[in-house]
Amino acid sequence: MIRLSRHHTERIAFSVIGLAAVATAVPIIVIVGSIFFSGAEAVSWQFLLEMPRDGMRSGGIWPAIIGTVYLVVGTGLISIPLGIASAIYLSEYATDSYWTRMIRLAIVNLAGIPSVVYGLFGLGLFVLFLDLGSSIVAACLTLSIMTIPVIISTAEEALRSVPQSFRVVSVGMGATRWQTIRRVVLPQALPGILTGVILGLNRAAGETAPILFTGAAFFLPKLPNSIFDQTMALPYHLFVISTQVPEMPITIQYGTATVLITFVLTMNILAASVRSWQRRKREW
Amino acid sequence: MRVTGRRYIIIIFVIGALALSACGAEISRSQNANMVDSVTLTNKGSDTIVNLALAWAEAYHVTYPNISVSVTGGGSGTGIAAMINGTVDIANASRKMKEKEVANAKENGFVPVEYVIARDGIAVIVNPQNPINRLTLQQLSDIFSGKITNWVDVGGENRPIVCLSREVNSGTHVYFLESVVRMGNKNDETFFSPSTLLLPSSEGITSEISHNPNAIGYDGLGYVTDAVKTVAVSPSDDGLYIIPTIKTVIDNTYPISRSLYMYLPEEATGYTKDYIDWIYSEEAQSIVEELGFVPVN
Repeated sequence: MIRLSRHHTERIAFSVIGLAAVATAVPIIVIVGSIFFSGAEAVSWQFLLEMPRDGMRSGGIWPAIIGTVYLVVGTGLISIPLGIASAIYLSEYATDSYWTRMIRLAIVNLAGIPSVVYGLFGLGLFVLFLDLGSSIVAACLTLSIMTIPVIISTAEEALRSVPQSFRVVSVGMGATRWQTIRRVVLPQALPGILTGVILGLNRAAGETAPILFTGAAFFLPKLPNSIFDQTMALPYHLFVISTQVPEMPITIQYGTATVLITFVLTMNILAASVRSWQRRKREW
Repeated sequence: MRVTGRRYIIIIFVIGALALSACGAEISRSQNANMVDSVTLTNKGSDTIVNLALAWAEAYHVTYPNISVSVTGGGSGTGIAAMINGTVDIANASRKMKEKEVANAKENGFVPVEYVIARDGIAVIVNPQNPINRLTLQQLSDIFSGKITNWVDVGGENRPIVCLSREVNSGTHVYFLESVVRMGNKNDETFFSPSTLLLPSSEGITSEISHNPNAIGYDGLGYVTDAVKTVAVSPSDDGLYIIPTIKTVIDNTYPISRSLYMYLPEEATGYTKDYIDWIYSEEAQSIVEELGFVPVN
């Protein structure tokens, strides 16, 4: 039996770990690369800004893009204030009691629920019970429920990472607790909170299942003109043109995928740059 | 310094919020002003009909720009359920409403009205490499219920049979089960064999069959492309095999054909009536034919 020296063992361990890292990166690079490669030729200003024509087999995807923007903005308007407020409460005010532990447990569990469950819940609560119909507002509310746990947990993490001494000093100088939170803790935690917000909204932009029953339309001949209308959205549009429309040109499918991925990647890069900006600017 | 900076942000935020709500008010006001003209009808259901409904919505919007029809798929069951719950104006269905669904609608206080808006032949399709050209209904029933599992038993090559079907929410699935697998016998409890692959769309079945030489499946005529081969079907064993075409569906010689429906919660009035009337016009019914379905008149 051969006994490896501990240096050899280390080298083997590092190569295996390194290979694992490469193996996880390769699929992402291949997927993004091949979609951009095949989709780039389809993307043009006409493709981005025109209405679909000829049973969606030609023309553009403007209503799907604008629909996704509506959904993301609407979801942000609801989930950002609620999420940040809850995070501040949990991190700054709540004492460590049975109830706050239950709330935290609920938030962690909410973040792990499959998105289709959110969709069905939204259908039951917002569409049917609250009678909002299949509409932008019902879809935004459903997406918000899905986004809020992400925002709360990252925002709480960001708030907690602000050193305790900052709070102690601020209160010691006569500031109230609210003044301390607003003037000292929040500004320091803001970049971390923003990262969470962007990641949460990013998920909202890319999901199909939660909007499937609550507000997504297969096709609309015009843009929605109220929040009680249905809307087209990029992920759902991509799903239907690649599974349900016969003789759909493959370039339009790739083009739509390219636009969706660009949308999501841009938001991700934004989140990453906010995070690195935070590290540089940090005052501790 | 810090304080003023923060104040600015708050002021900007407030102004932004005000501007947004002003926009919102503007939009809702202009919408109220246009209320008489701008109407959205919602239309949901059968995935078989969804592309036809889309083409109609597109054409209708060109002729009547103030009326838009939003179209969603999901399956006949989904559309009918939404109509019963009152979340859509028109349900598309590729099967008749079940007694239970009609009862549910009555519980909610209305009797649904049925419109036959097109007819459809269900083509049995195989890979072009498969030498099989014709099958009887009995053979199809045996294949899909799992009694026949090799192409050799129906005169083909020695290859296993892979059955493809739509999922249970599909009206096409229900229709094929009742009229082919059970051969129209209401007391028959036969089901698709457990090895049958259930695919979520007609387009998915066409695409899988074009790649898999062992596969057999069924699709509405509108979904059959040149990448697959249509099998001639005989209702009995008398040797008369019929290919599904518009002609054989209209004269009822092709055994697997059905009507496509739209259901409304009540007798159509106003904008919905105009739309339904237009669907029976020559323009709309020519779209039916363009998409490979069979016109009703």
